[in-house]
Amino acid sequence: MKKNQHVPDECISCTSCVAHCPVTAATNKFRGPKLVGPALQRFRYTGDETDMEPSLDYCSNCKNCDISCPSGVPISTLNVLAKAEYYKTHKHSLRDWMLAHGELMGKLATPFASMTNFALSNPINKALMKRIGITDQRALPAYASKSFYKQFKNLKQKPSDKKVVFYPGCFINYNDPQVGMDFVAVMQAAGYEVIVPEEFVCCGTPMVASGFLAEAEKNAHVNVNELKKWADRKIPVVTCCTSCHLMLQQEYQELFDIPGTEEVAQYLYNATEFLLDLYNEGKLNLKFKPIKERIVYHAPCHLRAQGIGRPSIDLMEIVPGLEVIDADAGCCGISGSYGMKEEKYDISMKVGSALFEKIKESKVNLLASDCGTCRMQLTHGSGLKAVHPITLIKQAIA
Amino acid sequence: MKEYDVIVMGAGMSGLVAAAAAVKRGKKVMLMAKGTGAVAFGSGTVDLLGYLPDKTMVTDFNSGLAQLPKTHPYARLGAEKVAAAAQFLSDICKEEGFEYAGGLDKNSFLPTAAGTLKPTGLIPKTMDASVIEQAEQVVVVGFEKLKDYYPQVIAKGLARIPGYDKKYEVVMVDIKQDEQGRDFNALDVARWMDSPAGRSQFVSQLRGVVKPGAVVLVPPVLGSKPTYAVRDELEGLLKCKLVELLGMPPGVTGYRLRSLLMSYVKKMGVAVAEQVNITGSVVENGVCKGVIVSSAAREHTFYAKSFILATGGFFGGGLISEPGTAYEPIFKLPLAGDMDQGNWGDPKLFAAHGQPFAQIGIKVNDNLQPADDNGNVLVSNLFVAGRNLPGYDYCLEKSGNGVAMASGYHAGMSV
Repeated sequence: MKKNQHVPDECISCTSCVAHCPVTAATNKFRGPKLVGPALQRFRYTGDETDMEPSLDYCSNCKNCDISCPSGVPISTLNVLAKAEYYKTHKHSLRDWMLAHGELMGKLATPFASMTNFALSNPINKALMKRIGITDQRALPAYASKSFYKQFKNLKQKPSDKKVVFYPGCFINYNDPQVGMDFVAVMQAAGYEVIVPEEFVCCGTPMVASGFLAEAEKNAHVNVNELKKWADRKIPVVTCCTSCHLMLQQEYQELFDIPGTEEVAQYLYNATEFLLDLYNEGKLNLKFKPIKERIVYHAPCHLRAQGIGRPSIDLMEIVPGLEVIDADAGCCGISGSYGMKEEKYDISMKVGSALFEKIKESKVNLLASDCGTCRMQLTHGSGLKAVHPITLIKQAIA
Repeated sequence: MKEYDVIVMGAGMSGLVAAAAAVKRGKKVMLMAKGTGAVAFGSGTVDLLGYLPDKTMVTDFNSGLAQLPKTHPYARLGAEKVAAAAQFLSDICKEEGFEYAGGLDKNSFLPTAAGTLKPTGLIPKTMDASVIEQAEQVVVVGFEKLKDYYPQVIAKGLARIPGYDKKYEVVMVDIKQDEQGRDFNALDVARWMDSPAGRSQFVSQLRGVVKPGAVVLVPPVLGSKPTYAVRDELEGLLKCKLVELLGMPPGVTGYRLRSLLMSYVKKMGVAVAEQVNITGSVVENGVCKGVIVSSAAREHTFYAKSFILATGGFFGGGLISEPGTAYEPIFKLPLAGDMDQGNWGDPKLFAAHGQPFAQIGIKVNDNLQPADDNGNVLVSNLFVAGRNLPGYDYCLEKSGNGVAMASGYHAGMSV
């Protein structure tokens, strides 16, 4: 556990993070995690904390620096804290504000989804977006006509004493509700009833990544408060989005000093982690029919950073006939809203190039990944459909 | 309950070799990593034994080994096992298309970026510096904006060493990039060399300067991947011999070796878990049942029949030192070495007999199993490998990757 650990002193400048930083490999503009993280943190502690190294803006918060560090230095946390410090005295761009507030955008857009989607894909609007710094080279996530919350409300569940709470997160709620519906279907088949409280708000990941730390902290208070209610009743809270999960479970502990974050963390599970735990304990009441499918699976960096092994691969491998190829090609490059920014688009595609190459070599027709924006990037870079592992599990239920 | 045959804790040099040896024997292996291990930013050479503890230089491994104290990991393993380990690693490298040179019979001496020589055992073929002696023309290539690499220093330093005392020409290559930005490290240059544009710029800047048959010394930049394709292409175009020197981290040659071993073990079916924080173990009646992994949320126990402890020394977190105490955090195994912290450090950084703390490690028997003072094995299905071991000072001896390889192999063959 790394609660509130912001000390750069365990860094001995071994350069492991520099060697494994995908952004450093893709662009010369970023001075690298070692320098902008622990090295500059030492300076920041001695003087002007608003003196931000300009290239810090190129950090995508993918956390490969943390994954590669042999000394457990919280490099990415040092970076987001420095970014936040800078924006205490500097103004954000309209673009960064929009990308950091996906939840608000979703709330505004979903009632008029078809119109919004048309507007988003319309060339005039794309040109306008480009003016404010959003790339016109990729499709932005389309809004679903019915949010997950709405679809879930209309769903009749089989009641059960075994309950889990589902935290959908903004992407699943507004852009990809089918993942949430698939999750509910799997849990129902496994004998669970799913509770979806609407008190939850955006976990804060896009805010943290763009330097809106104070707002993220407000959201964290709301979420921790809600999580506590369920933790008190010992009901697990399950997520399908790995970045929401990392934020709720780990980054709240690292970034904020909110009482109870450690306790609620114990009740948070990734969907595949939860099911795999059940399976390992012999308690997963699901029968799978064989599905003849060969897929490439991409592990999101924010799942790898959790240090819990490879639950999605292990779970999918239980399904007879499902052949899972672990892409093992590093970061996909999109890092949430990072790859949607005009000046970061080329970097994001360069970072993802090894992964796209691996997909091409594997000659598959279907991809899987737990993260919504990773799936967007996979499809954008390969032209292939990408699904959440839970969707494959749902299809395999006999 | 999911149970592996073997759980290897630590994915540095010893852990990777241990996992490779075990999986090759058909074992179901989980490899737990925390960070990359020092192999990723080191030299990628396998230093076997460069100096004896009294600083005498070693020319061949076996005669050096004969003079080591009985408690040295090499002495416990014996010459045969070390040779088998070296053969095992060489076979993997060859199988993966990145054959290593050198061996136990003779140490190689590699020029460094400081213009000195370092003794080592197994080396990537790009580092074979034996061609320098016969060369008529030796060119030392530097790169504009490359940090920590000064060709003039190299030329001056090498010229003072018998056998290398010749005229060196210095040439600077410019990495012309549209993008303005930071200074380069060797890995940046290696990635530039991965691209056809980079290679063609390199060749065009050296053509005419480098005469056919010349030896060209470069930092470790001949591509970032474990393949000789970049070197072969450039040598063909320039009709010269390219030699990579040992440089500052990130040592690209180490990055290549780690990539090779990691992709090999994954290909063989080892399950690799990253960012794993192992905080404890379940040991019953001297048998380890599982190890406890702590995430930001909760603890998980991972079960296996056998375990390999390859978590490193004080740097890697395999040994922890705190005021007044030092310990091994997962099994709380007793340590060997001088436990009086007052005696740990020599005020002279490069003291002739090294730094005393370097000798500290987990107390083991000759089978590299944790043992008490009377030689009783403490955990019967646990083997210790790499810098967790006591009784050797890899900085002083130049034996780091060698001991890691040999003890990792022994562990992987014993589980």
